[in-house]
Amino acid sequence: MTNKWCAMIAPVMVTGAFVFSGAPATHAAPNTFNTALPVAQGEFIWREQAVFRERSSGGPRDRDVSIVALASALGYGVNSRLAVFGVMPYFFGKALDVTTPMGRINRDTDGFGDVTAFARYTLYKNDFTGGTFRIAPVAGVTAPTGDDDETDRFGRLPRMLQTGDGAWDGFGGVVTTYQTLQYQVDAQVLYRENGRHDGFARGDEARFDASLQYRVWPASLENISGTPGFVYALLEANLADRDRNDVGSGVDQNSGGTQWLIAPGLQYLGRRWIFEGTVQLPAASNPHGNALEDDAIVRIGFRRNF
Amino acid sequence: MFKQLLLLLAGLMFGMSALAAGNQYRLGVKGVACPYCAYGVEKHLNKVDGVENVSVDIGDSVVRVTMAEGATLPEGKARTAVKEAGFTLQSFSQAEAKLGESND
Repeated sequence: MTNKWCAMIAPVMVTGAFVFSGAPATHAAPNTFNTALPVAQGEFIWREQAVFRERSSGGPRDRDVSIVALASALGYGVNSRLAVFGVMPYFFGKALDVTTPMGRINRDTDGFGDVTAFARYTLYKNDFTGGTFRIAPVAGVTAPTGDDDETDRFGRLPRMLQTGDGAWDGFGGVVTTYQTLQYQVDAQVLYRENGRHDGFARGDEARFDASLQYRVWPASLENISGTPGFVYALLEANLADRDRNDVGSGVDQNSGGTQWLIAPGLQYLGRRWIFEGTVQLPAASNPHGNALEDDAIVRIGFRRNF
Repeated sequence: MFKQLLLLLAGLMFGMSALAAGNQYRLGVKGVACPYCAYGVEKHLNKVDGVENVSVDIGDSVVRVTMAEGATLPEGKARTAVKEAGFTLQSFSQAEAKLGESND
């Protein structure tokens, strides 16, 4: 195990120990996206997620990218309908293996990524006995807080390896939640328009994400008084369509495309905390040229509110 | 005279025991469907003055609120607390607390 992996796991263990010590609660929501995180008026919700991501491309360069990151999300309920969120990634390692005329080389970097802030307003809410249905528009920006000009012994790192893209990005969409005592379904449709900086712009992105959380324990709530913890089986789907990146006056033909990921997982919901994990795996893909595609994304983390 | 004093004393003891039991309320809450939701309702109701204990039977969507001695829970405050937690108050009624009842 490398030092970077140790450095990654240590804070997760520490924060995990804090959570298990009895900090306040969080609730059911998807593991692969943050827009459906519910938060009550005057309260905060905190999600900490360790992300292990493997990407690769075909072609003569045969790129392999490994990412180890910690994604920290904080939400606040301004009132019973409006909530604001901030998400800050920290990359413990972002490494590229690529074939070059000099042979196979490895390049890597680390540091804070681009911070995202967004707001969600619950436009429609229909509470019923043992469940709820909600529709909420979301809108946000990603600020260029990550480095976009890191270098190594080979020169400036490729754009896709930088921890930030140097540009302001905007996104908007709609998220919906249908929740009963037995299961919960969340779905979001988002469009992200990425800004341009220093002759580079990531391709704009349209995405559809859905999540099913099905209570597997306790199997029945009959004859159970009080509020027991729930175990949910998760099945999530993430469909993303990305335009090619703009580079200088042209486009990178080996970037963007469409990919559909499926993510099974598990989630434990206590009254005061949640522990969750998923593995995102490719179900179908149609990359542009030899664009990078996700091979697997593991997300492990917890949530609490206070 | 002695009989009247005994009756008065019995009346006082009965009244004190009723006060000691505290007022208990039964709230039907719509929208609560997970342990986290239940915790949110408990947290907001616990902020109401005089609330001593809150427990949620999630399977029945029922919240039981026990007040401190002599305190009452106005329906408006209960409705506001439930709304701030993100849910909807469906029903509100006062119930007599049972001796020895546990709310944990």
